[in-house]
Amino acid sequence: MAPVIDIRGVHRIYESAAGYMHALRGVSLQVERGELLCIMGPSGSGKSTLMNTLGCLDTPTSGTYLLEGVDVSMLDDDELAELRATRLGFVFQSFNLLPRATVMRNVTLPLVYSDCPVSERRVRASRALAAVSLPEQYFDHRSNELSGGQMQRVAIARALVNDPAVILADEPTGNLDSATGEMVLRTFRTLRDEGKTIVLITHDPEVARWADRTVHIRDGRLLTDEQERALLAADPTTRSAT
Amino acid sequence: MRARDLVYETASALDANRGRSLLTVLGIVIGISAVIAMTALIGGIKQTLMGELGLNQARMVSMYAYPNREVTLDDLDRLAELMPEYECLTAATYGAAEAKSETKTFTPTVIGVLPSYFEVMGLDPVEGSLFTQRDQDSGALVVVLDKGSVKELYGNPDEPVVGKTISLNNVSYAVVGVIESGSVMMGGSGMLYIPFSTCGARITGSMSVNDFSGLAREGTDMEAITETTKAALVSYFQLDGDDEENVYVMTMQSVMDELDSMMASFQLMMTSVASISLLVGGIGIMNMMLTNVTERIREIGLRKALGARSSDITKQFLLESVCLCLAGGVIGIVLGYLGSFALTGFAGGLVQTGSAPATVTPVIDAQAVGIATGICVLIGVAFGYYPARRAAKLDPVESLHYQ
Repeated sequence: MAPVIDIRGVHRIYESAAGYMHALRGVSLQVERGELLCIMGPSGSGKSTLMNTLGCLDTPTSGTYLLEGVDVSMLDDDELAELRATRLGFVFQSFNLLPRATVMRNVTLPLVYSDCPVSERRVRASRALAAVSLPEQYFDHRSNELSGGQMQRVAIARALVNDPAVILADEPTGNLDSATGEMVLRTFRTLRDEGKTIVLITHDPEVARWADRTVHIRDGRLLTDEQERALLAADPTTRSAT
Repeated sequence: MRARDLVYETASALDANRGRSLLTVLGIVIGISAVIAMTALIGGIKQTLMGELGLNQARMVSMYAYPNREVTLDDLDRLAELMPEYECLTAATYGAAEAKSETKTFTPTVIGVLPSYFEVMGLDPVEGSLFTQRDQDSGALVVVLDKGSVKELYGNPDEPVVGKTISLNNVSYAVVGVIESGSVMMGGSGMLYIPFSTCGARITGSMSVNDFSGLAREGTDMEAITETTKAALVSYFQLDGDDEENVYVMTMQSVMDELDSMMASFQLMMTSVASISLLVGGIGIMNMMLTNVTERIREIGLRKALGARSSDITKQFLLESVCLCLAGGVIGIVLGYLGSFALTGFAGGLVQTGSAPATVTPVIDAQAVGIATGICVLIGVAFGYYPARRAAKLDPVESLHYQ
């Protein structure tokens, strides 16, 4: 079966007042269905750019990206939006919930943009919230009344609600204490066990331990675990950057 | 994105900024109030005049012909034969005299009229009776007062005066009846009516006619009768018909048209107030929407990441500004309508009927409300489009990390 994510030779060059910024330098990566992949790298390594590229929020300067076999470079803005609505789920470090809206409203928000019938929305949202084990009594609370761990679980439910091909999580535990973070990571593991494909982006080796596979990104290039170890062995000073 | 979602988003966004939204729409509220108050008042004034005019006056035609000779009652009879489309023609002559009651003196316009005059003008006595043919034939010393002259002579327009005696140029006349005062349009108040023959003999000293009025038969086309009457007068008196100075025919319709042009300056003033405040209001809306977009950059980024198309974002912000303007419009319509009641005194003065200002009831019509609503939608779109596009064009990656 074809990999869910298949990127080959992707470059991303930003043009800014300070000059050109080469954020990704020939990145190739395949993610299989049902895999929990961790992308690790220090800040400035290009991991956010990679995340945005995988999430179809940013387009590569060169190289190809096949999402479930579809070449996303061929799609226009509206088709990319539809892809984000139906095939991709995002989890952010800072949760990015609508603070004044209820839990239910937050989780159903992607359904608004994927043209889901109003009658189905609550059912699907409840299912997604059950998958992240958020008790039903919170469904009609406003999201800013929840704890950090609860908020992140609501955010995961929101990412799940459209049954996407991939869930992309950018530092999902970055704003949580370690116990809550572990609960969130356990949620991801459970989802992986249910067959979801998840890409975690982090700089925290503790988080990486939960993944099936870890790739490292450094200066816009991907390294395998072995290459990373070799790099660190050759030049121990680079460790401080992680 | 479904219409229902759009409405939900708009309602919750406006609800979140209730106080600020209310302040922002003030400009729209003021502008729309001005428009509505103005149209309601003008509508009310027109309706009042129409009501005052009565049915007969819709059929009344005033004629002015100035040949180089005296016009007499014989001319009137011949004109009546020439113009069978009139049920009745009547004549009046004007003079001035010093009028005295027991206590007061004033100098009114004295109108000498044929008995048919009151019927043609649609005037009914509020007290007593009007002239008879016998009064005309005998040149009787009788007088009909309007409420304005009753007030001048007795201090109180409702004073019962029938049967009393007043003097005109030191000749005593018996008061036989009282009528309502005519409005400004009708020649104003403070008039005294005496029989035509009496006026000719005692006040003006000539039997010539100053103007005619006719009551057209029911169902006559009032536009057409203006033309045929003018032509008939021109040929009868052998006048130069192109010269406005010589012949002039006026129906109540043309008086209404004149009223419209008189209202135009008032309307212009209100329209400029309204347009300036609508413009300022629109800029206020744009300003608030730009602030809104900036405040919600992260939310916009999030929505895009969750699959919102640019058009979804545009629609959401555009609907928000349109709803804001519409809310302002609705408040403006209500305030304007209520405000027009406060201004009825001023409007009543414009159509004053003698002693007391007329009671003008503001009239609001569906057309005015429709136009006001349309203006609001237009402003909402015009001033909301730029902020909405700006929101839609935001880069999702940058907006998600915007602090």
